[in-house]
Amino acid sequence: MGDITLTMNGAAISGREGMTILEVARENGIDIPTLCYLKELTPIGACRLCVVEVEGSRMLVGSCHTPIAPGMVIQTHSPKVLEVRRVLIELMMASHPDSCIVCEAANCCELRMRATDLEVGLPRFRTRLRYFPLEDENSNIIRDMSKCILCRRCVTACYNTEGKKMFSLAYRGFESKVIYDLDKPVGSDETCRDCDTCISLCPTGALRQPIKFGQRKKGPVLYVKG
Amino acid sequence: MSKKDATKKTFDNILLTLEETQEKVGYLPAEFMVELADSLDVPVSDVYGVASFYSFLATRPPGRNVIRICKSLPCHLKDGQTIIDTIEKEIGVKPGRTTPDGRFSFELTNCIGLCDGAPAMLINHNVHVDLTPGKIASILDKYK
Amino acid sequence: MPQAKIVLKNCGIIDPKDINTYRTKDGFKALDKARGMTAAGVINEIKTSGLRGRGGAGFPCGVKWEGARNSPGDEKYVICNADEGEVGTFKDRYIIQNDPFSLVEGLAIAGYTVGARQGYIYLRAEYSYLLGLLRGAIDQAQEAGYLDGFNIAIRLGAGAYICGEESALMESIEGKRGESRYRPPFPTVAGLWQKPTTINNVETLMNVAQIVLNGGGWYAQMGTERSKGTKVFSVSGDVARPGVYEMVLGSPLRELVEGLAGAKDIKMIQIGGATGRIIPYDMIDTPLAFESYLGAGAITVYNKSRDVLDIVGRTMEFLAEESCGKCTPCRQGMEWMVEVLGRFHRGEGLARDIGYMEVLADTMALSSLCGLGQAAPFAVVDTLKYFRSDYEKGISGK
Repeated sequence: MGDITLTMNGAAISGREGMTILEVARENGIDIPTLCYLKELTPIGACRLCVVEVEGSRMLVGSCHTPIAPGMVIQTHSPKVLEVRRVLIELMMASHPDSCIVCEAANCCELRMRATDLEVGLPRFRTRLRYFPLEDENSNIIRDMSKCILCRRCVTACYNTEGKKMFSLAYRGFESKVIYDLDKPVGSDETCRDCDTCISLCPTGALRQPIKFGQRKKGPVLYVKG
Repeated sequence: MSKKDATKKTFDNILLTLEETQEKVGYLPAEFMVELADSLDVPVSDVYGVASFYSFLATRPPGRNVIRICKSLPCHLKDGQTIIDTIEKEIGVKPGRTTPDGRFSFELTNCIGLCDGAPAMLINHNVHVDLTPGKIASILDKYK
Repeated sequence: MPQAKIVLKNCGIIDPKDINTYRTKDGFKALDKARGMTAAGVINEIKTSGLRGRGGAGFPCGVKWEGARNSPGDEKYVICNADEGEVGTFKDRYIIQNDPFSLVEGLAIAGYTVGARQGYIYLRAEYSYLLGLLRGAIDQAQEAGYLDGFNIAIRLGAGAYICGEESALMESIEGKRGESRYRPPFPTVAGLWQKPTTINNVETLMNVAQIVLNGGGWYAQMGTERSKGTKVFSVSGDVARPGVYEMVLGSPLRELVEGLAGAKDIKMIQIGGATGRIIPYDMIDTPLAFESYLGAGAITVYNKSRDVLDIVGRTMEFLAEESCGKCTPCRQGMEWMVEVLGRFHRGEGLARDIGYMEVLADTMALSSLCGLGQAAPFAVVDTLKYFRSDYEKGISGK
């Protein structure tokens, strides 16, 4: 009932009506990388990392927000798609500080993980860095917006899963920033519920908990290729 | 309190309310944004997010008259830079600034759709086209 | 032959402040006629006419209206996009200044056809001085009883080029940041406040009354295979007579630029503003049509004294400032383009960056969320094709 058949990477697969390309892919064990997507929540479509090739479409389409249709022919890992994803990662790193070696996110950083997966080398598209002072006054959250890649997960998650809305987007273009209040640092008086949701979802080291000694990092070892 | 309740109903559209306030007050004071957020039951960051997105919305008090001169290509080709320099000399402040007496704010803007009269500018809601350095002083004279 | 007046037929003839002068020129006859027809009948005429969107994308107007008409729901909206922000475009300003009534009539016909009781005109903030004129036209039409059962509200933008993009425009009417939405769902299914919505450019709506009055077949006689009717062009830059010109689609660019506007010593022409295409002088016999180049009809002419890198650099600066910043390729890519073009302009370019520009342009075109990001690299791509040596001269040490 409501089954839709389509072709993904040459194989015939099926999904149910209303599913997105990404959902069908994941159900079939195909890993399409994402950075802004959050399962069960309205797609954001901002990072563009999940783009795939759909036959008949001039552009690549965002798989996290495009519903499947009967007879779709999709390539999720064609050379064209992989090159675009590589450039997108490079663009995210273009204004990201080179502080991985001392960054709290370390080998739990999704941006690094995706970069490693896609074998991204030195970024070709270096731009000026987006510098913001560290916000470390609050006892539950430290924000280092210089590391933010504007995926908006924290904005969406806080609003949807916690019913609160700590953060919003402000400014536009390259100046865009996830802000708190009237673009103030998260101060010591902010009594967010310390639920950790946004911190655990941040794909970089932009959001973290204040350091507690003895804390251990969990995550797979990242091998640097080359 | 009752005043706040009375205005509550009209506050259903952030941008519209910001525009109305700017038209009345000249800019968007922080206290106003906080009040608007309260009445809409949205975080103030949402209100500031909208306010900071649009280039015609000001979160700091501008001068009594806002000069918006076009810096886009059609005006640039007609020597718009000379006009920009002339205004700068005339009012004594650089683009992006307000004169110390609060008479003028001076802003560079993207294409304002007056390319057939390039170089062109807007002062408040008024159009000034086919500008030459010689015309600037008398135009500015009209704005006190 | 190639100059024709359909859209601009009343401009300079009627008094834009007086509905009676419009009425003597068949004003509101098309609306009366449309209301005597079925919605399907009107859609059919528009489809027959071959009218395509005049804002740049060229989507068939009849198909758009049909889509919204057939979408389920009682609450539907029609929007007129009067947020022309493309660099070098001023035709919609000229139209509203001279004939706001045809626009109101066109929008009312759209409302009737789609089944919308509410229409919006989204006017860019830079045109705030047109507010009184436009409001006057709506009020007069209302008082004369032409807008019974249909309400038109004007929404003023607040200085954001991206709000000319239809999905960002709807976000803005909803009072939010003007950020693009992904599609599907398309506006005809879930648009303004998630209700079925059509969004038409000012010029598109200006054609509607004429088509309803004279028939789609009459309109389709003009133009080329896939570009019917006329197009209004805004010509500026290095020309003797900048201004607004209406031509039958398919007319040669040369006639417009050299003939009517009086350009000399042309180096290159930008068609469609900042997100438009750049072509060298030797392509000046290109026909103006959707099949070749058109955009929203902004024609910016550059003579031989102009510096290609300066022009491309300024084009990219404009787009970088106006990017909404939501998606990675547009937000980050534009910033890099601006920085790199600046280096080439100063003679500090790196040879490898020319190749990188091409790689980045591909990614932006393929993966950006909306039309702005997808079309943003055109000026770089085109000038790399036609004026590559200008870039090579900008390499450090050359």
